[in-house]
Amino acid sequence: MDNATFTAELDAHRRYLLRVAHLQLRDADLAEDVVQETLVAALSAQAGFTGKSSVKTWLTGILKHKIVDAIRQKQRQPIIQASFDDETDLDDFDPLFKDNGGWAAPPADWGDPENALSRQQFFDIMELCLEKLPPNTARVFMMREVMELESDEICKELTITANNLWVILYRARMALRQCLEQNWFAGQGRG
Amino acid sequence: MKSIKHLLGHWLSCKDASRVVSQAQERSLSAFERWRLRMHLAVCDKCTRFERQLQFMREALRRYRS
Repeated sequence: MDNATFTAELDAHRRYLLRVAHLQLRDADLAEDVVQETLVAALSAQAGFTGKSSVKTWLTGILKHKIVDAIRQKQRQPIIQASFDDETDLDDFDPLFKDNGGWAAPPADWGDPENALSRQQFFDIMELCLEKLPPNTARVFMMREVMELESDEICKELTITANNLWVILYRARMALRQCLEQNWFAGQGRG
Repeated sequence: MKSIKHLLGHWLSCKDASRVVSQAQERSLSAFERWRLRMHLAVCDKCTRFERQLQFMREALRRYRS
């Protein structure tokens, strides 16, 4: 890949990188900085790109380290920690379930969901659903499912217990599932 | 009678089953947990559907990042 092609390829993923960074940092300026650093690092490491994975996967890998660094910096400010308590508390009351533990609103039939994977619009809806998650929930979920950090790394970086992590990821999945169902699978988007 | 009560004591509700299905994406379940979940899924279409939907979401996120 020549330089111009490579730079254009990097630029094409800019929007994706910004979204992913913003979901984890919830700070537009910081997200911008982290993405800038990622692109600069990618340019200077161009030779290191072997083409074994896609450019996007490779960039996601670089972004991961930049985000972990940014979170470490932020972690020194105590503000971030406080809101974790609200999001990790798995109350016995859960509006998704009846008192006897049965589904209050059972999962709907999604038909052949795989069809959605070829539609860009589906991924736009998924991004919107991720944006709607509470900040720490989104951060943890993105670290796990998009940055592919191991559970124990996430616990270490965010100083939370494994149990907190499971609760947060469970909440994130329940909310994302419901949001996709309401905004894609139940709507006309599916057709 | 005692054995039925004993079995019911191990019976998962859908609420519990949904938590175990989610945790299975983070850690390996014990043999007992797997057995309990299988028993539940064998008779519960709703939770079976839920499990498939979580697997689909994982695949969607894999596509999203690559």
